Amino acid sequence: MVKFLKPNKAVVLLQGRYAGRKAVIIRSFDDGTRDRPYGHCLVAGIAKYPKKVIRKDSAKKTAKKSRVKAFIKLVNYNHIMPTRYTLDVDLKEVVSVDSLQSRDKKVTAAKETKARLEERFKTGKNRWFFTKLRF
Amino acid sequence: MVTAKKTKKTHESINNRLALVMKSGKYTLGYKTVLKSLRSSKGKLIIIANNCPPLRKSEIEYYAMLSKVGVHHFNGNNVDLGTACGKYFRVCCLSIIDPGDSDIIKSMPGDQ
Repeated sequence: MVKFLKPNKAVVLLQGRYAGRKAVIIRSFDDGTRDRPYGHCLVAGIAKYPKKVIRKDSAKKTAKKSRVKAFIKLVNYNHIMPTRYTLDVDLKEVVSVDSLQSRDKKVTAAKETKARLEERFKTGKNRWFFTKLRF
Repeated sequence: MVTAKKTKKTHESINNRLALVMKSGKYTLGYKTVLKSLRSSKGKLIIIANNCPPLRKSEIEYYAMLSKVGVHHFNGNNVDLGTACGKYFRVCCLSIIDPGDSDIIKSMPGDQ
């Protein structure tokens, strides 16, 4: 009886172009909205995972391999699988529903998400979130 | 070797309690609504039939673990669970939202 679809929860997308990708819930709409009359949430996830870095990689190669491509999406609750992990990144002011209204707003929001996720990846925390789900 | 065998008496008591919930309480039948009730934290007890596909069973148990809701593995298949609910169709999983007059929530969740 505990609500678990809350902001900062790590989820895995199950359907769509980003199926199998991990994402973090930024905002949840349990009762839906006028345009989407079903439970859904705004997620920010990883479109392209960072590649595996080995010891003999040069600094330039490490920087190139640690890049992350992010996406922002509104997903139906039926299309996500919640996990027991959480990801504490402050993306609330960067990502919002109106940043999905136009293409250039979406691009700037995605770029900012990418920067935040990359710096989180470089600290070495939340390692589960940045590893690709094998299936 | 004493295995934890479900005796006929406790099995009947689950059926009795389930009948009371059907009469006086609120419940939903079926996989989609069970997940819905877990997401909205309305479900209080989940009952799964024994021939539920293992992936679906694991998924429901994972959701229940996240929302801290008890899961009861019914000693019978989906045909039996449907009969226990008084329905003429098969029920693979059900979620009890409001037990009504029944004490099924208090007496079952020790059981996994």
